[in-house]
Parts: sequence; structure tokens; C-alpha cells
Amino acid sequence: MGTLLQQIANGLIFGGLIAMVALGYTMVYGIIQLINFAHGEIFMTGAFGGLAVYSWVLPPAAQQIWYVALPAMLVGGAIVSVVVALLMERFAYRPLRNAPRLAPLITALGVSVFLQELVRIFFPGASSAVPFPNAFITAPLHIGSITIPASGLLMLIVSVVLSIVLETYVNGSRMGRAMRATAQDPDTARLMGINPDRVIVLTFAIGAVLAGVGGVLYGTYIHNVDPYIGFQNGLFAFAAAVLGGIGSIRGAVIGAFVIGLIKNLADIYLPGGTAYDYVWIFILLIAVLVFRPQGLFGEAERVRA
Amino acid sequence: MSELASAAPGATATTPTRPLLEVRGLSVAYGAIEAIRDITFSVQAGQIVSLIGANGAGKTTTLRTISGLLRPKRGEILFEGRPIHTQPAHAILGMGVAHCPEGRRLFPRMTVEENLQLGAYTRSDDGVAEDMERVYELFPVLGERRGNKAGLFSGGEQQMLAIGRAMMSRPRLLMLDEPSMGLSPIMTQRIFDTIRNLRDLGTTVLLVEQNALAALAQSDYAFVVDLGRTTLEGTGHELLADQRVRDAYLGES
Amino acid sequence: MKAMARPLIIVGSIVVIIGALLPWATFVLNDGPYPDKATLEFFDAPFGLSSFRLYLEILGLAGLVFCFVPLRDKIRVLKAVGWGALGVALINTLFIIGDGGGFGAVTVADGVTAFGGIAAVIGAAVLLYGAFQLPAEPKVVINPKLPFWAEWLILLVAFVALLLLITETLTAGGHSGVSDPYIGPLFLSYLSAAGALLGVLWAVGVTKWISDMSERHRIFSIVVLVACAVAVPFTSLGNDYWMTITANIGVYAATAIGLNIVVGLAGLLDLGYVAFMGIGAFVAANLSGAVAAEFGIRLPFLLAAIVAGIVAGLFGAIVGSPTLRVRGDYLAIVTLAFGEIFVRVSQNNIGGLTGGSNAIPNIPDLSLFGTGFNDSLTIGGVQLPSGVLYYFLIVVLVALVMFVFGNLKNSRIGRAWIAIREDEDVARAMGVKTGKLKILAFMTGATLAGLAGAVFAHKLATASYDSFQFNQSVTLLAAVILGGMGTIPGAVLGAALLFVLPEELRQFSDYRLLFFGLALVVIMRFRPQGLIADRHRRAELADQDVTGESLDDTVIKEPVAVAGAKEAGA
Repeated sequence: MGTLLQQIANGLIFGGLIAMVALGYTMVYGIIQLINFAHGEIFMTGAFGGLAVYSWVLPPAAQQIWYVALPAMLVGGAIVSVVVALLMERFAYRPLRNAPRLAPLITALGVSVFLQELVRIFFPGASSAVPFPNAFITAPLHIGSITIPASGLLMLIVSVVLSIVLETYVNGSRMGRAMRATAQDPDTARLMGINPDRVIVLTFAIGAVLAGVGGVLYGTYIHNVDPYIGFQNGLFAFAAAVLGGIGSIRGAVIGAFVIGLIKNLADIYLPGGTAYDYVWIFILLIAVLVFRPQGLFGEAERVRA
Repeated sequence: MSELASAAPGATATTPTRPLLEVRGLSVAYGAIEAIRDITFSVQAGQIVSLIGANGAGKTTTLRTISGLLRPKRGEILFEGRPIHTQPAHAILGMGVAHCPEGRRLFPRMTVEENLQLGAYTRSDDGVAEDMERVYELFPVLGERRGNKAGLFSGGEQQMLAIGRAMMSRPRLLMLDEPSMGLSPIMTQRIFDTIRNLRDLGTTVLLVEQNALAALAQSDYAFVVDLGRTTLEGTGHELLADQRVRDAYLGES
Repeated sequence: MKAMARPLIIVGSIVVIIGALLPWATFVLNDGPYPDKATLEFFDAPFGLSSFRLYLEILGLAGLVFCFVPLRDKIRVLKAVGWGALGVALINTLFIIGDGGGFGAVTVADGVTAFGGIAAVIGAAVLLYGAFQLPAEPKVVINPKLPFWAEWLILLVAFVALLLLITETLTAGGHSGVSDPYIGPLFLSYLSAAGALLGVLWAVGVTKWISDMSERHRIFSIVVLVACAVAVPFTSLGNDYWMTITANIGVYAATAIGLNIVVGLAGLLDLGYVAFMGIGAFVAANLSGAVAAEFGIRLPFLLAAIVAGIVAGLFGAIVGSPTLRVRGDYLAIVTLAFGEIFVRVSQNNIGGLTGGSNAIPNIPDLSLFGTGFNDSLTIGGVQLPSGVLYYFLIVVLVALVMFVFGNLKNSRIGRAWIAIREDEDVARAMGVKTGKLKILAFMTGATLAGLAGAVFAHKLATASYDSFQFNQSVTLLAAVILGGMGTIPGAVLGAALLFVLPEELRQFSDYRLLFFGLALVVIMRFRPQGLIADRHRRAELADQDVTGESLDDTVIKEPVAVAGAKEAGA
């Protein structure tokens, strides 16, 4: 029982991480029907951005105080992610807005590889895993029989809070309405006076903030980062977005927690253990795509060719 | 919407003023195929002007080009004397041209209220709430169900919402594409009554209709579009009486 | 500005010529001068023009000559010359800056001056700018009818010239596997110059003429092409090093052509394609009698390869079956997920079939009449390098794959695939059995990849999951896209470029994937149809070329609008 609870706790923490990345996938897909493969790399650049702030911006005294260091890293990571995402949108995706669908997808793939390599080659020491500073309370929390690192709990809380903020923003604000309108019917949205470029830029930026924050929190939780963290976690996040019904914010978050739980429960309870947990998730992803492409919570009309 | 009336005083002025909208030598192509070729017409302020013609004549393309969704290959579009054909769609709305597209194109998963708020997206003044109440006055059925999803309404109600949404931007020119499509005769009549009402309140209307009889009866002026160009023009009554129009579009022999 | 075209071209050309003669570097490297004595000592041997200086002299002279000689389509000819000159000049200048540690290396340092590089760059830029000012002209078409023997002769000469050009390109700088610190710039300079030559030939209509002729004499062309491929070991590429490289290119080219069936013809994006190659490799490895293999049986290679192809094809059908329900992006994700599952599973040595992280090593060498495929061979007194038999085997493989692709493309099935690619709903409405055909596309592609994998495992003598990772799928996809979707020469060219460039540019091998990523983005932006465009595809991917109008980015074109209308109507 203790193991089960522990795995559930770990699963929720991992789910919280994946949710922050999945939201970017789901929003961008909702607006421009692009699977932004490079979104995982936005997450990764966020982690490295936070690391850069810690290593080169913060004075040694401030590095020791977590409530100074961590916010600075989160802001730094988010800024790096946003800058990368907006450059990517402007120079890689926007020129292809009306191109055949294969073109932006392949471009996304190219951007993904490019960003991985850029960080690997030019970030000092990033050709192998780089240790990530412990920028939060190190003492783990004991709740009953389970133990959770404080950084894990923080990740879970931040993820849930940001998801709620985002959902409120998209449903309640003027720009949020513009985003939903553009997602439902881009042409008519333009007839309402909505500038699609602004909406798209905003969408990329919001996704990047979430991913950047997620990247920094991931670093503090796992304690090391490498240029490839974006690929695998990005795939999980994409799986989560699809599972929840791509285009749906709530769906992406729920999908992320489902993925997190499956991964951690598979480590213990499914044949093959940790070596095969990825395999189970990908099998689930394929099954969802084939049998319920609108996702577990999505509306059928969301599905596009 | 009484305020809108004051925005265009002397709606039926007889002095020859510059038209509100001028379309000159406009050609639009989809790839290599020209959907409209050298179309020229103008819309006087305060009138209901119709473009009538068969399916595929290029009427919808013309409206989509005026509102900036399509780019012309040649020709120009002047609104209040200013060229607008180089402007993006979202800027053209801000200049006072609202386009109520074919098939209504509401945001079906949003509420009535949200649809109307989107209609007023470009406005930052305080009058939005008031204008919304006016739409609800004009179409009480919308007011009663303002929290319902737009996709759940009937065709006629959706058309009302589409017109209401377009009016939320306080346009000087309202372009309506096939407002009677799929509606019952009674509902069609209600919609046309509303359009006349809007005209009387000071909004200029450019109407595209396949239902030529109904459209011409309501119009102050009309143009017949055929194979991508205007072939005939006149007041609604003149065209209704024109034998060529009767033969081609009114199903008489 | 049009009036300025000619003076600009003349000035640019002269500056290029002078620049090539000036010293290029202010330093002398420890291990000898920069290639072709790009130092002050250059004037010790004033006529010792070679390599990049020679190319620049030729290109500069060509600029002058073409400027005065009456030519049709002068603009394209001079643009090719200009791009070539700019390429050579920039590459070498940048290298000198890089090796010499800064701008001092190409300007003034320690009282020594060297402005050759900068002069050449500026001259080439002016030449190119001038070329762009020339009036646009319609594309030249030359198509004289000649007696068949004359056309055969021309084709023969053309193919042999192509073979020589390729071997020269690969061995530019006398390279044969020894590490030469200047191999990068030498190779790239040669490539720029060769590119300019091909560009000029294209501009005057020669390449089109020859390709039309080869269409008319298809069988003859294929025979000559195969003969040329067989002749490679007898050229300057006939050494161990290049046999290995060309064999690798061949395997990847065969795989890329298989992928081209799926992506280029049927329009189904497959992001896990290399897994099929992996399946083929593991099947062949297990049937090869290798010690680490799960089955202790040894099948003859041909049989093992066929089994490998069949097993890979079966997996292809399984992976392809979601296409019945899933389309577009989602299908790409299904294939990506499959690829990842394959890597994970083989890394974990599932069922003992893949050897896990130990791989399956020591796959026995193939042999024919007692000669091992890795041994060297003597034919008629000519000593051929070791690995030459693998090379021939791979030539056969590539020829087979090309044959399959070519026949399928021009068959009913191929036309149906193209119809599915263009518009699946329309294809279905016209009675094309889309589901079956899509699975068939996956199956065919997978079978070919499985065959290639079987050869690959034997050639490498080992089969490891590490060779079949996602990056390999990306590289193969890049090869198909770079070369041109839906064409055979495109896939071969793409595979060759993507697998040769890293060899030639080993000093930048660290940047390989960086360039791949960037190349994918740039190609999709500026030349989505690839280097060698498919005629059908050209119209589809290059919208703007067809209408010739510039639409602003936010304008949504008709197809999108129609899709939106459909949706709203539904």
C-alpha cells in the first residue's frame, strides 16, 4: 500500500511537470493546427535559461537564498523560453502559414533538432548532463508513509495553479476570447477585427512561459539537465495533450496526470518495470490516436485531418 | 441603435456626394482562376445596395475581398475615399466595415454574449454594454438565452445573432452575405425588416443575395453580377421591372 | 538600375580576378602554408594557380566573357557564376579568419597585409548584384533532334562526365580517409565551383536537354548509370575508405528511396521509418549464425534478406494500419511512437533478439565462391579494394529499390498514391481504395527498408539499436526532402549529400545535426520541393511560383477557406 501511494505521489508530480509542457502543445495546435515538435525544446531552453541565470547572473550570496534564487531563475527561464518561441514562430512558422501541412511539421522537426544541438554545442558543458543547482528547500516532506521532495510538491502546486490561471484567462479575458475565436474559425475571427498574428504570438508566448517555468522546476526536481530532456518529455506532453483531446486546456492537464500516473505505476506493476514504462505510454498514445483521436475528454468536432 | 443614426445624418441626402464605398476594376484570382474580373460598383451612404447574381458569379468573393480576407490581383477599393484593399482584415473592421459572412459563421461553442463581445472586440469605449442591450431589444430571443451556446440556436436566430454581432462594431457599412439562406419565408421577411430598420437608423448596407426577388424589393440600388463582372445596375424597382433580370434570376420566362 | 547591370558585372568580375591573385592570409601556418600558398609567399610562384584560386580566376573570367558574349537567359547564367564565386570566396575567407584567429588574418597583422579574400568576397557580391539587375528572361529550352546514336553518345559522355565530377568532388584535395586539416574548405570550394558549372549548364538548358534525352532512352540510361556505378571502384574512389563510405551512402539511399514511397508518393509522413531498417537488420543478424544470435541457424544471405524484408513488411502493415483511421499529423505521431517503442524494446533486448546494449556483434562476413565480401579482389590484373563486393551488392540493392520505385510510381498503384497525397477525400470519391493502398505504401516502404537493413547488418558486421534512433529517421527524412520528394535522383542525391558531407567536413562533425535542423527549416521555407523537384509536386508545393502574386502572410488562401466553409456547413 505504501508503495502504491508513493508511486501515485510520484505520478502526480510527474504529471504536474508534463501538464506545463502539454498546455503549450494543446494551445498552439488549437490555434494553428500545428504539432509544434519544437515545444519540448522550449521547455529545455527554459531549464538552461534558469541555469544560466543561476550561474552567471546571480551573485554567490543570492544563490544560497532560495526565495531569491528560484524566482530569478523562473523568470529568467521563462524569458529565454519566450524569446526562443517567438523567434521560432516569426522566422520558421509564420512564413509557412499557408503552406501544405507537411511543410510546417517538417520545419518543426528541424527547429527541434536545431535547438537541441545549439544548446549542446554552445552551452558550456552541455554535451553531457549538467548538474542543476538545488534552488529550493532540500529537506523532503514526509506525509504518512510517503516521502516527497519539496521541489516535487512545488512543481505540482505551480502546475495546478498555472493551469487554473490559464483556464480563467482563456475563458474570461478579451484576449482569451480572441484566442478561442481564432481557434474555432480563424477567418471569422479576422472579421471581428482580431489580428491573427497577435493571437498566435500570444499563444506561443503563453505556452513558452509555462514550458520555461516547467523547465526550471524540472531542473530543481531532477538535479540535472541535458539538451535532450525536451524530446522525451515533449513526447509525453504531446501524448498527454492528445489523450485529453488536443485543443482542450482542461483535457491536457488531466491527460498529463493520467500519463504521470501510468508511468509511475507501470514502473512497479506492469511487466518490464522501469525499462518498459515509456513503451506503455507510447502504446497508450497510439491506442488513443487510433481509437479515440478526439481524446478522452475532447469533443468530436475538434478532430481535423 | 439611435446613436448610429446620428453618425450618418442626412442618410437620404440627394446631393451627389462621394459614395461610401467604391470598387473599381477589381479582379481576384484563386491561383490561376479568376473568380471576379474587373468588377466596378459603388455604394451610396444610407442606402441598401444589393449584388445579385447566380451561384458562382463572384458575389461572395467580392465581399471577402472588401473585408480584406482576400487580396485583389488588380483594381482598388475605396472606403470613404481611402484605399482599403492593402489593409489586413482586422484593420478594415476598425475603419467601419463589418462583414457578416455567408453561412453566418458564428462561434458555435461560445455563448451569445461572447459572440457579441467578439463583435465589439476592437472597441474600447464604454458603450459596449449598452449596444449589447440594444441588440437584445432588437432580438429578444437572444436576450432571453444570452448564456446559451450559439451553436444551439435555429437558423433564423443564428442569423439574428450574426447581424447583431456585426452591428456591435458600430459599422458605417454592413455587408451581409446571403442572410436569407436556409430560412423560412417568414423568417426571411423578419431579417429583411431588420435590415431596413438598420438602414433607417443610418447604417449603409451592402447585401449579397441569391434570392433576387426579395433582395431587389428591399434595395435602394442594385447591381447584377454575372461571371465575375457587373452587367446591369439600377434601383431595385427598375431591375425588378427589367425583362432581362426577370428572365435570368426571377424564374419567369 | 538596369543600366548598371553590365558595369557592375564587369567591375565585380575584375575585382574577383584581382582578389584571387592577391595574398589571402597574413600568416603562415606551422604545418605549411594555407592551401595554395595563400600567404605572402604567393608571389614566389606567381603562376602556381590551383584549387580555390583557380576556381575564382575561372569564375571571374567567366563573368567577363558571359557579360559580353551574346547569350540567351544571361541573368541565370551570371547568377550561377556569381553565387559560385561568392561561395568560394566566402568559404575560404571565413576559414582563414577561423584558423588565423580573427580579422587580422585577412587584413593586416604584424605589418603584413592580405586583402585577397575580402576583395574576392566584395567582387563576387558586386558581380552577383549586377547579375540580379539584368532583365528577366524566359527559361531557355534547347531540344535539337539528333539521330539516336548521337543522343546515345551524348548521354554516355554526360554520365561519364557526371561520374568524374562526382569522384573529383569526393576526392577534392587528394583526400582518401587521411585527415587533412584543409579538407573542409577544399571540398566546399570545389563544391561551389562545381555548383556554378552545373548552374550555368542548367541556365543554358543543357541539363534539361540531357534529362529529356535520358527520358527518351530510359533503358540505355539505366544501363549506363549502372555501368558507371560499377566503374566507381576502378576510379580514384577505389580504396577501402571510399568503398565503405559509398556502401553506406548506398544503404541509406536505398532506405531513403523506400521512405520516398511513403512520404513522397503517398504523402504519409513517417517519423519512425528507420525502425523498419532496424527490424531487417536484427532479423538478418539472428539468421546469420552469429554467436550472439538468439537462433542458432544460419540461412543463406539471400534467404535471410528476404525473410528480413518480409518481417519488416509485416510490421509496416501493422504500423500502417492506423492510417485507416488516423490522418496527417496524427499518423506522423503514431509512426514516431512506433519508432520510439522499437528503440526502447531493442535497447531492452526483448526476447533476447536484439542483444540490448551489447548489440549483436560478429555477424559473419558474406562470401561468394569462397571470396569474403570484405576481402579485396583482383579482376584482370586490377587490384580492387577490400569491401568491393559489398559495394557491388549495394549497387544491386539500390538498383532493385530504384526499379521497384520507378515501376510503382508509373503504375496504377503509384497514380492512386499520388491521388491520395493530393486529396484523400477526392481519391476515395473517385473509387481509389485508400485504406488498402496506404497500408500497401507502408508495407512496400518497410520491406525495402528491411532489405537495406539486412545488407547494413552484414556490411557493419553488427546490429545495434543505437543505429536506428530517431535522429536517423530525421536524417533520412531530411535526405528525401532535401533531394526532392517523389523522385529517385532526389533521394539518392539527398542521401549522398547528407552522408558524404559529414565525412568531408569532419572538422565540423559536431555541427552536423545543427546544420540538418537548420537545413530542414531553410528548405521548407525557400525550396520545399527539394533540389530535384518532382513535376507533379512542383505545382503543389510552390504555390507562389504558379500564381506569381505576392500574398500577404495573413491572407488565407482558398483551400483553407473552403475547408473552413465545409466545417461550418457540417
